[in-house]
This record gives sequence, structure tokens and C-alpha cells, in this order.
Amino acid sequence: MELFFQQIVSGISIGAVYSLLAVGYALVYSVYNFTNWAFDAFMAFGAFMAFYAISLFFMPFWAAALISIVLTIVLSVGSERLAYRPLRLRKAPRLFMMISAMGANLMIVNLLNLIFGGSFRRFPVDAAKPFFIGNVSIGRMDLLAGAISFAILALLWWFLYRTKPGLGVRASSIDIMTASLMGVNNDAVAFIIFAVTGALSSVAGVFYGIKYAVFPYMGLVTIKAMIASIVGGLGSLPGAVVGSLILGVLETLVAGYISSTYRDLFSFLFLVIILLFFPNGLMGKSGDEKL
Amino acid sequence: MSANSPLLDVQNLVVHYGGICALNSVNLHVDSGEIVAVIGANGAGKSTLMRTIAAVKTFTSGAVLFNGQPLKKDASRVVRDGITLVPEGRRIFAPLTVRENLMLGAYTRSDRKEQEETLEEIYALFPRLKERLHQRGGTLSGGEQQMLAVARAMMSKPRLLLLDEPSLGLAPIVIDAMFDAIVKLNRELGLTILVVEQNASLALEMCHRAYVLETGTIRMEGRGSDLLQDKRVMESYLGITG
Ligand SMILES: Nc1ncnc2c1ncn2[C@@H]1O[C@H](COP(=O)(O)OP(=O)(O)OP(=O)(O)O)[C@@H](O)[C@H]1O
Ligand SMILES: [Mg+2]
Repeated sequence: MELFFQQIVSGISIGAVYSLLAVGYALVYSVYNFTNWAFDAFMAFGAFMAFYAISLFFMPFWAAALISIVLTIVLSVGSERLAYRPLRLRKAPRLFMMISAMGANLMIVNLLNLIFGGSFRRFPVDAAKPFFIGNVSIGRMDLLAGAISFAILALLWWFLYRTKPGLGVRASSIDIMTASLMGVNNDAVAFIIFAVTGALSSVAGVFYGIKYAVFPYMGLVTIKAMIASIVGGLGSLPGAVVGSLILGVLETLVAGYISSTYRDLFSFLFLVIILLFFPNGLMGKSGDEKL
Repeated sequence: MSANSPLLDVQNLVVHYGGICALNSVNLHVDSGEIVAVIGANGAGKSTLMRTIAAVKTFTSGAVLFNGQPLKKDASRVVRDGITLVPEGRRIFAPLTVRENLMLGAYTRSDRKEQEETLEEIYALFPRLKERLHQRGGTLSGGEQQMLAVARAMMSKPRLLLLDEPSLGLAPIVIDAMFDAIVKLNRELGLTILVVEQNASLALEMCHRAYVLETGTIRMEGRGSDLLQDKRVMESYLGITG
């Protein structure tokens, strides 16, 4: 029973990290109708920046995380300016945006590989000492990752549903042209979306790096977040969170009780089964409001 | 701005969609305090004109001067300058509440207190909206949606209100109420209005001056009451033969 609880907590924690990425996909998709494949690279980039801030410059964890967030925001917003905005202004089909995102992704990941090398690095924080609640031991970093991820999601919710720029983003996700007729600046919305999703992927990269390792191709895990956001319903934020939590818990249980070799197989199986019964995902609406 | 220069001055405006010319050297102006109508059949270029003035469509050549200044290139900045478009088909944010739709209308404003005053003006004009504040925009009837679209535009406190076919898809009695409200906006609140319409008789009755737009070109202009008596207008736009 203790093992079961431990795994649920660990599953929720990794699910919360997936949800940062899944929410990122949902945000970009809800406004621009394309999947930003470059999160993969942003996540690895974020992890590398934090890793070197600690191991080269001996920064405390918090400072390193903050630096990583800022630099990843710069990368994300920069990639929007260079790779997407020119296409968006020319009203290019969304397929072109995806291809552009894939290109940016390949380029950044390979640069990381070239500059830093492909080896696996242990994140230099002490994650080992567990926490005990009764007999249930909980990894300290699991707890931290879960708590911070949920706090960030709450902050994002507050921004989107309780502030004026948030309302502007939601309006843009429904009808970007009419939003601009209300005075919502499309470029400002793009900045907000790419800054927010850059920050989200950096935090996800740092926590994922702590849990597993830091390496250029670590962003491959974003496929899980993609699955989660499709399961939740493309473009739906609550769906992205719910899908991620379910996936995180399911994976951990499969790894714990069946075998970790089958973990990813189950993720895809899960996707297929959900889509059979809910073609739009659990919370996906066909069209209309997505946030 | 000199005392008698128009609020909106459109000069030799040419607009293309790819190779298709939608507006061909259009000249028109709107003075402060006026209601000006542009009438024309389907495809005449009415929406193109409105969308160009609202800067969601770019123009090929010519000039659009607002208050003597060239129009900004970005739609959101044009709103800040005081031009607000009620687009064709209303384009209410269907999943958002009536209140959220109105808040979006006031997106460019930060004067909380004056916004309350604008809201009062809106409730006086469209009491129906006050009862439906927390309802989703998409659940409103067509007439209510048109009210909301106009109210939402009022929330930006525009100096020039652009209306693209406010009568579209509405029952005759609702159209009458809508046009009464538009006239009130002009007479009582002093709002300057440029309206494009297929419903020529109503538009000509309510406006001070009007233009007739045919396949991208202005064919006639004059006072609304004069155009109502014009033989060509009667035949082509009012369905009166004789
Ligand atoms: N996005 C577009 N791409 C290509 N051509 C367009 C586009 N929008 C409008 N047009 C063309 O421009 C011309 C003018 O269209 P516009 O929508 O301005 O007409 P309208 O007077 O508003 O018509 P309606 O009364 O039907 O609304 C039409 O020939 C139309 O086919
Ligand atoms: Mg039209």
C-alpha cells in the first residue's frame, strides 16, 4: 500500500511536469492552430542553462532556475520573431509553421549537442533525501516539482482568467482578427504566448533534468506532453493538465507494477484508446473556445 | 487639424485581393457629427472599405486620413486612435460572456470610472444586454448579438464608429429598432458614424449624406433624402420601377 501511494505521488509529480509542456502546446495551438515542435529544444536548452549556471558558476538552485527561465524566454520569443512571425504575417498555411518549428528544433538541439556534447549529466542538486509522511517516502524533488508546477499553473490560470491581457489572449484564441478590432495587439499576444511557453518549458526541463538527466535529446520526452495534450483535447488548457496527470500516474504505475520497458508502449496505447472513445480528446471542443 | 477638415478623409483609395481590384480610386469623407452611409450591392466592396479603414486590410495606393493624420498600419493602434469597426456578421466572442465581450470592447481604456458611464449609456440604449450580462455571447439571439456588437464598440469610446451591415440577417422589426439606436447614438451621444448597407432605403433615411458604391467605384453621392428621390437609385437599390 505504501508503495502504491509513493507511486501515485511520484506519478502526479511527473504528470505536473508534463502538464507544463502540455499547457504550452495547448496555448500555442489555441491561438495559432499549430503545434510548436520546438518545445523539445527549449526544454533541453533550459535544463542546460540551469545545469551550467550551477556547475560552472556555482549559483544557488533558485538563481540558476531563474536564469534558465529568462534565457529560455529569450530563445522562445526570438524563435517566434525569426521563424514564425514572418510566416504569420504572410498568412502562410499552418503546415509551414510546423515545418519551421521542426527546423528550429533540429537546429537548437544539434547546436546543444555540438557545443556541450551528447553525454548524460546528473543535475547537481541533492534530490536523494526523501520526505516521510507516515511510512510513505516522497522524493523531495518530486514534491518540489509537483508543488512548483501546480503553483505555476495556478498563476497562469489567474493571468488568463483574471487580467485584461489574459482576456486579450483568450479573445485571440477565439478570433484573432476580431480581437485586433478590439485593440488587442497581435504581436503583443504572440510575445505573451511565447514568453509564457518558453518559461514553462524551461521549468519542465529543469525538473525533468533533475529527475532523470541533462542531455541534448532529453526533449524527446515532450512526445509525452503531446500525447497528454491530445488526450486532454488539443488546445484545451484544463484538458492538457488532466491528460498529463492521468498519463503521469498511469506511467508510474505501469513502470512500478508491470515493467518500465512497457511504460511508453502503454502511453501510446492509452492515447489510442482515449481517441477511440473521445475523438476530440477528453475536454476538446470542436472549434470555439479552447482556453 | 483645421476647423473644417473632415474627421475621416479617404482619397483615391485602391485595394486589391491578390490580382483582384476590390476598390478602385474611392474618394469619400466623413465630417464630425455626421452619419454617412455607403450603399451598394453584394460584392460592391463595402466590407473591403470598412476593413481597410479599420486597418485589418492593407491598401495598394491612395490615402486614408483620420483627423488629418495618415491611418496607422496596425488595427489595434487604429482603435486606440479612435476608429472602431463593428464587423460584418457581428463576430461576437461566442464562448465569452456578454460582460467579457464588453470588457474586450474597452480593452484600450484604463479609465475605470468613465467606463461605468459608458456602460450606463449602453444599458439605456439596450436594456436587454443588462439582463444578459452573464450569459455566453453565443447564446444571444441575432438581434441581441448585433446590440452587443454595437455596445462592445461603444465601450472603446470611439470618435468614429464604423458599422458593416448592421441589418444583416435581422427581422424587419429588429432592424428598425437597431437603426433607431444608431440614430440615437448620433443625435444624443454625438457619435460620428460611417455605415455601409445593402438595405438602401433605411440607410438613406437615417443618414445625413450617402455614397453609392458599385464594383469598387463611387458612382453617386449626395444627401440621403436627395438620393432617396433619385431615379437611378430607386431603380437599382430601392426596387422601385416606374
Ligand atoms: N479575402 C478575399 N479574397 C479575395 N477576394 C475577396 C476577399 N474578400 C472580398 N473579396 C472580393 O472583393 C470584392 C468586394 O468584396 P466585399 O466583401 O468588400 O463586398 P461587400 O460589398 O461587402 O459585399 P456583401 O454585401 O456581400 O458583404 C468581391 O468581389 C469579393 O469577391
Ligand atoms: Mg460585406
